[in-house]
Amino acid sequence: MPGEMVSDKADRIAYAFVDNGKTYSTVVGLFSDGKLVPLEGPYEPLAEDMIVGIVAEVKFSGYSVEMNTAYTAFLSSREIRERYSMGDAIFACVSMIDEVRSTELSDAHKLPSGRLVKVSSVKVPRIIGKKNSMIDMIKAATGCEIFVGRNGYVWICDGANPTLAEKAIRMIEAQAHTTGLTDRVSRYLKENGGKDYSPSHVPSQPQGIGSQQGAQQGSEGGHSPYGSRSGGQGGFQRHSRYPPRQHGYR
Amino acid sequence: MGGNAANKPELLKNGKRVDGRRVDELRPIKIVARVLNDADGSAYVEWGKNKILAGVYGPSECIPRHDQSLYRAIVKCRYNMAPFSGAEEHGRSGPNRRSKELSKVIREAFENVIIAESFPKTQIEVFIEVLQSDGGTRCAAVTAAAVALADAGIPMKDMICACAVGKIEGEVVVDLGKEEDNFGESDMPIAFSPRTGDVLLFQMDGLLTKEELARGIELARGASEKIRAIQFEAIKKVYEEPREERFLIIK
Repeated sequence: MPGEMVSDKADRIAYAFVDNGKTYSTVVGLFSDGKLVPLEGPYEPLAEDMIVGIVAEVKFSGYSVEMNTAYTAFLSSREIRERYSMGDAIFACVSMIDEVRSTELSDAHKLPSGRLVKVSSVKVPRIIGKKNSMIDMIKAATGCEIFVGRNGYVWICDGANPTLAEKAIRMIEAQAHTTGLTDRVSRYLKENGGKDYSPSHVPSQPQGIGSQQGAQQGSEGGHSPYGSRSGGQGGFQRHSRYPPRQHGYR
Repeated sequence: MGGNAANKPELLKNGKRVDGRRVDELRPIKIVARVLNDADGSAYVEWGKNKILAGVYGPSECIPRHDQSLYRAIVKCRYNMAPFSGAEEHGRSGPNRRSKELSKVIREAFENVIIAESFPKTQIEVFIEVLQSDGGTRCAAVTAAAVALADAGIPMKDMICACAVGKIEGEVVVDLGKEEDNFGESDMPIAFSPRTGDVLLFQMDGLLTKEELARGIELARGASEKIRAIQFEAIKKVYEEPREERFLIIK
């Protein structure tokens, strides 16, 4: 809870601040192992975040991209080889962000036709799961390719059962703070007509744009990020390692 | 204050007040967080007969642009009393002198705790609607807005809570109701940052001696601890109970 003490020393903890040699929380969150995980909050873009954005404006030199923040990002035409029009969904990397939150994007790809699900950005690590377990399970069970942006936009490409995928993602968002979620989602998918899926046989990902899931790990440490497999897949790979979020308040 | 002496009720009798409370007893308070679908954060407070709804939007792009700051988020607050909220005639709805003043003092209270430096060029909007009023609406409004801000996930240094104290029949009492406010001698709403004990909002209507003021602040501080516990409970419930059960049931 805001104002509750998380440490009686002056520690540098994200989403906390130090006052008088003690550390206090600034958000509603769960505190464990010296980490404060917020349960709610706006998306704060950081460099190298992979995001799903919507083209908001076509300009002479590039595109304005809406990405679930107060700030619209800019994607320069120099960075891309495709052309977009207003309303297109893209998957891109935050290449630069400055102190007044001017954001620039790079490595953009247009997303195939599908649907957009808006979730809270703090729930994104749960949607991806440890070693992508959650998202791989949903993808396999519904036969849909899914792009999870760090900004809380989830793009579900048209496939066998996109409605079920959307429902599963909504379920994860609603229950993100609980334990045993993977099992419950797995059961839910099975009961609602998802394809049989057991974690042992992860389908091999096709090469190409579909496999380049660059969505990032959030504050839950210890997972391998999306696409940490060795082997050059070009473009997205160099951005796949997500640095620990380091923004503390003083 | 402001009541007609002719129909003044007996405010204090054998240490009990008009509604049967002790001098240091709060009215029953009920807080429900996250009641609005489209707001980033929201809260509904029932404080005695007060019914107050607060919604928070943001941080979003600051409009108009000349209000925006390159260094911090701008906090905007709108306190509004519904035309049907009280016994007296409120006339046309919309901002008036009183509600503009309250919007300002509530905004300034929250500017002290919101960590606005994280969101340059943005605005954080706090909307407070008083649906039914029964004295002490600004304290209930601050309490509701604090829960709504926390629910929106906006970083704050503390959860503000507020409580009024006042004087009736020469006695300092906590949390004045409408009759006590109208016929009492003094009314003093105070908002605290309970973590540090800082006073973030302080207004006074009527007169108090130095000693009564000190006693009043002490009483309000004690009461604010209880309110803070109710605020925390409301936030916890968002994550403990399914959405449908928390939803507002109008009796």
